[in-house]
Amino acid sequence: MRIRVGSLRPLVWVGPAVALIAIVVLWPVVVLVHSSLQNIAADGFVVGGAGGRNYSELWHEPALAGVVERTVIWVVVVVAVTLILSLALAQLFHQYFPLRRLARTALIAPWAASVMMTALIFRWALDPNVGAVNIILHALGLVHRFGSNQADWLGRPGWALVWMMIVAIFVSLPFTTYALLSGLQTIPGEVYEAAHVDGAGRGYMYRTITLPLLRPAILVATTINVINVFNSFPIIWEMTRGGPGYETSTTTTFMFILKQSFIGEAAAISVANFALVIVIVLVFLKVTRWKEAVT
Amino acid sequence: MTKRLSAAAVALVAGLGIAACGSSSHSGGGGSAGSGGGGSTTLKLVAADYGTGPSNTSSKYWKGIATAFHKANPTISVKVTVVPWTNFDSEIQTMVQNHNYPDITEGDYFSDYAQQGLLYPASQVMANPGELLPVFKKQGTYNGVQYGMPFTTSTRTLFYNKQIFAKAGIHQAPKTWADIKADATKIKAMGKIGFGLPLGPEEAQAESLLWFLGDGGNYQDAAGKWTINSPQNVAAFTFMKGLVSAGDTEPHPGTQDRTPLWEQFAQGKIGMINGSPALVPIIQQAGVLKSSDWASVPIAGKTGPLTKTLGVCDNVAAFKAGGHAAQIKKFLDFAYQTKYQLQFDHEYDLLPATTAAANQLSSSSLYGSFIKALPGSIQYPSNTSWAQVKTQVQNQIGTAVTGSPSSVLGSLQSTAQKLG
Repeated sequence: MRIRVGSLRPLVWVGPAVALIAIVVLWPVVVLVHSSLQNIAADGFVVGGAGGRNYSELWHEPALAGVVERTVIWVVVVVAVTLILSLALAQLFHQYFPLRRLARTALIAPWAASVMMTALIFRWALDPNVGAVNIILHALGLVHRFGSNQADWLGRPGWALVWMMIVAIFVSLPFTTYALLSGLQTIPGEVYEAAHVDGAGRGYMYRTITLPLLRPAILVATTINVINVFNSFPIIWEMTRGGPGYETSTTTTFMFILKQSFIGEAAAISVANFALVIVIVLVFLKVTRWKEAVT
Repeated sequence: MTKRLSAAAVALVAGLGIAACGSSSHSGGGGSAGSGGGGSTTLKLVAADYGTGPSNTSSKYWKGIATAFHKANPTISVKVTVVPWTNFDSEIQTMVQNHNYPDITEGDYFSDYAQQGLLYPASQVMANPGELLPVFKKQGTYNGVQYGMPFTTSTRTLFYNKQIFAKAGIHQAPKTWADIKADATKIKAMGKIGFGLPLGPEEAQAESLLWFLGDGGNYQDAAGKWTINSPQNVAAFTFMKGLVSAGDTEPHPGTQDRTPLWEQFAQGKIGMINGSPALVPIIQQAGVLKSSDWASVPIAGKTGPLTKTLGVCDNVAAFKAGGHAAQIKKFLDFAYQTKYQLQFDHEYDLLPATTAAANQLSSSSLYGSFIKALPGSIQYPSNTSWAQVKTQVQNQIGTAVTGSPSSVLGSLQSTAQKLG
């Protein structure tokens, strides 16, 4: 009896965490998959089973191909540019300079501010008539006339996407930079000194010492960014609502618009999103052989 | 020690379970929240906001009624929630989808809720539904029973800026599409926006219908069959596309919502725009245009002004879930009093929905002509699928002025046919 109680003891410690994950993480996934297989009326009543019909409707959605393509571009560009800029920023913040502490603190601002607020501020700044961005561009001679097609950046899907990517990069920078900065701080100075003695140049040292030793930090930053950017909703919703039509929608905003009228189909695309994120992350970790990097 | 800790852990797990259940099981809605102590009831009212800012938010209007009502009926309180128009549909849809029902809504009306049996018939929650303007009865009726009760109505007209017209050397209000095109071209040359065309999600379905009507088109034919991609409708959008590509409208109409454009009209930046009486207070509040600087005329059609315009009503719906039919009836009979109808109409320059209030206003110089146009006005489709079709129209029809009108309207037509 005493032995059985003893062997159950770890369960008591792990139990709350397991229960929390089961209730908060796993159960919604089960409900989601279940909803995607049901025929749900627009007012939330389950009319009956739908089998795979929600998925086939989704597959035949004319806007789907464009939305998926845009999502891939969105994730790849935002994460790649964020990472490149953050590598440079982390390097900068790793140096000693006056007011470094203040500068490091200031970097938190885009992260601490609500993303929705940041997106709104950018939307106003891009107003074709009175937006700050347009006023600056007009003064520089780049925007020729206020209120014109050219000044209406968010009305043109291509440019709207570019500006939304800029906002997404802006809000992703702080976290990524901090992740990389903490990675930089773990590299012992002696390694550089030794390389310097051996006559290595700065660029060579960066490629052969810094980048390889930063790999765990880069992997973590990339993985978390991919998930965050893929699921990013407020930036696109506040700036263009995914419009005109679905021309600036990613799978996340597309799902939200579908939900208004077609709940089952929206659940189906949520399941697809969920699966896609997991697949992307697994493939990424596999390709980069993360275990080797970490150990 | 260990024993106590494990007991605490077990309690924590149990607590988590209860908390998780608690959050999802409370779906009865606010309707029942106030019932209990002393037989008092709290009705949950969700209304759209017709105001242009904090000074005239509809929250004030409804709270005023709620307070007066509570004085007369101390056992019933009304909890007022006001939602901006742009979010109204999705908020109500989300509440209903989550089975978190209000008792009363005022704003857009969803006939599919009547179909699902979620609503009280008008006869159960109003002493005399026959008082409501008969022209809007069909839109709120499902299977011969009226569920949607019009609360406020409006008709559409073409507003134009007389000042801009005079400067551009135009002496007549536009009557035809050709006039619109010619006038917009002249206004554009002055550096202003010729025609304001709001085809963004806020109310694209209204703007589109006004153009459809100009060519004898509509969303449906007389028999109730969808005709979204009829030759007339495609011709209307082809003409609009011509306006857009010539730069006679604001940039990218597919992304422009009605309210911001109305505000620009009020600032004197737009020559012509289709509007409702609700545009008038926006003009007055902006303080840029004097009342002699603008005018409103019948909407221009392909060959002449529309003889029948779009009549729109916003409805009250009463949800069954709370089981408060008697209390709702008391409140609605109170809120539909002529004085409150008139207060609403004066506040927002909209039209009444009861015969008594309409009669009082029909001799007014501001409202008279609008009210006379109401009985013959054209309505949106009354199908239960209209709510879903409307959402699709709002999201997609704006792309028809940049892409191909026939393919965009064609895809909306097939969605509508699928929804029935």
